[in-house]
Amino acid sequence: MTPTAASPYDNTLQKPQRDWVLVALWATLVLVALIWVAPFVFIIFTSLKSNAAVMASSAFAPPVDPKFANYTGAWDRGRFNTTFFNSVIITVIKVPLGLFLSSMAAYAFAKIPFTGRKMLLLVILFGTMIPFQVMLAPLFTLVNRLHLIDTYPGVILPYLAFGIPYQVFILQSFFRGIPKELSEAARIDGASHFTIFRRIFLPVSLPVLAALLILDFVSTWNEFAMALVLLQDRDMWTLPLGLSAFQGQFSRDYGQLNAAIVMTVLPAAIVYLIFQRYFVSGLTSGAVKG
Amino acid sequence: MSTVQIRDVRKSYGAHPVLHGVDIDIADGEFVILVGPSGCGKSTLLRMVAGLETITGGTISIDGRVVNGVEPKDRDIAMVFQNYALYPQMTVAQNMGFALELAGAGKDEIKRKVDHAAGILGLETLLDRKPAQLSGGQRQRVAMGRAIVRDPKVFLFDEPLSNLDAKLRVKMRAEIKALHHRLKTTIVYVTHDQIEAMTMADKIVVMQGGHIEQIGTPLDLYDHPKNVFVAGFLGSPAMNFLDGVIVGEDGAFLELNGAGRVPLPAGLRCAAGQSVIAGIRPEEIGIADTGGIPAEVLVVEPTGSETHLAVRLGSQEITVVLRSRIALVPGEQVHLSLGTAPLHVFDKETKERLPSFS
Repeated sequence: MTPTAASPYDNTLQKPQRDWVLVALWATLVLVALIWVAPFVFIIFTSLKSNAAVMASSAFAPPVDPKFANYTGAWDRGRFNTTFFNSVIITVIKVPLGLFLSSMAAYAFAKIPFTGRKMLLLVILFGTMIPFQVMLAPLFTLVNRLHLIDTYPGVILPYLAFGIPYQVFILQSFFRGIPKELSEAARIDGASHFTIFRRIFLPVSLPVLAALLILDFVSTWNEFAMALVLLQDRDMWTLPLGLSAFQGQFSRDYGQLNAAIVMTVLPAAIVYLIFQRYFVSGLTSGAVKG
Repeated sequence: MSTVQIRDVRKSYGAHPVLHGVDIDIADGEFVILVGPSGCGKSTLLRMVAGLETITGGTISIDGRVVNGVEPKDRDIAMVFQNYALYPQMTVAQNMGFALELAGAGKDEIKRKVDHAAGILGLETLLDRKPAQLSGGQRQRVAMGRAIVRDPKVFLFDEPLSNLDAKLRVKMRAEIKALHHRLKTTIVYVTHDQIEAMTMADKIVVMQGGHIEQIGTPLDLYDHPKNVFVAGFLGSPAMNFLDGVIVGEDGAFLELNGAGRVPLPAGLRCAAGQSVIAGIRPEEIGIADTGGIPAEVLVVEPTGSETHLAVRLGSQEITVVLRSRIALVPGEQVHLSLGTAPLHVFDKETKERLPSFS
């Protein structure tokens, strides 16, 4: 609200009436937040307890004597040196590369007219409709034939193939919404398609790119099924694979298991916290008459 | 500064033609306004000059060079869009310098030119702002600044004032005109607002349905409209049209349908019995104390400086603009003096102005 000159009859100092709908909304939000926070509290508390304390105390009781050794123990036993490194390599290459390829494709679909554009887009979108479980066996055969089992490209390429279609879908509809005058003005200013893409479209699309980056980072970081099939060598395992082995091997040590889970989840949470500030909408406001 | 020749330019989208062969000559430094109702093809024509639309037939030349296949950036033009099209993530200075930056100009040169343009438009204090932090009028000015910085041969304006409120529009109108006076660059300007066209243009091109109806100076079009469309399009309130028949020796009088008889201008090429449309500007009609044609007042609109009347004349309704304040109420009878008003006489069939002997 903009401040306006107060009239002598202004009653703004009076308490406004309570809005019960708003109260109910807040109550619901708090409840939902509690439901979502509960598992995190459980995991963090348990990761700091000894096995005996886990058995003796309630799941949500704070650890009396925090046992930080769980973390060092889990790091060693879960071979995090290897799995963490592998996960980082795969995610750090796949996520930006995928986003870059998708946004370039999306720009072409949205702004460059060419024959067969609609058909090609449909074919790409078809990729979002196939559940990857159906593809697991053929995928294994394909990667095997390419002699890429147990290699980084062997898992990064399929990740790209499954990640790009939905990103193209989202980005091209976003790009379509960018006023055509913006790219026309840039064309008159002397910009090539690639310059328009890089200098105008990417900056304007930061919110949606940040959202896609977070989603893609989390799903790549946590991906299990494809990694399980394509990475057989333990030295190539990613974090989720390491975690699964953990549970079988040390099924009784809940403290260490949860410490491992915390360490797995942490990078995704950090990435989320870094990029969520770009979620602010309205980056395009002011470009054209709004 | 430059000339623009548009020769028999056509445009169709598939089988659907939007421009049917258009010819316009624009002299160096001229301010030309393309005006017409929505869908008349004026914006399409401007975009074809800019190179944003392909040309189906004919040629467009800038400074004698045919530019049909030339990329927009190589045409040496600058365009101001209706919705400004400022780059939202760049500051005002970056927006204005973008074209120079892409052309590979040095930092100092960019800064000098941007500062110069900002000085012309009064944008010096806004150079570090983002477009979102500017008002509508300021954004409009930045869009013009972006055009000025490039020092193009031709400025193209596509309805640049449509998104501004009425007061600001009047102000920007004067600013654009002053800018043209100062820079003396050729301007092609598209609008649907006839007031903008009348007040700013050196030359107006009135378009309708993909055709040019008439080209001329504002006052020439106002005083000698070639047909009923141009006559009705220019001027506010619009010209009154009355159906009538030529009567008398040598076609000396016009019998208005059930509303009396008025003398015709001398030397008109017409025949007795011919059905015509008579056009009279609202401000040319007066109220007579005695005599004149009786009419009934329907609506009275005092604007302060003028009084607008809607009156019924016979079976037809017309508008009268009086320069004085007058106490009238709806339902009252008045006598209109049409005798001295310059009549525009158009053929009823062709809607074209009747030629005169002179």
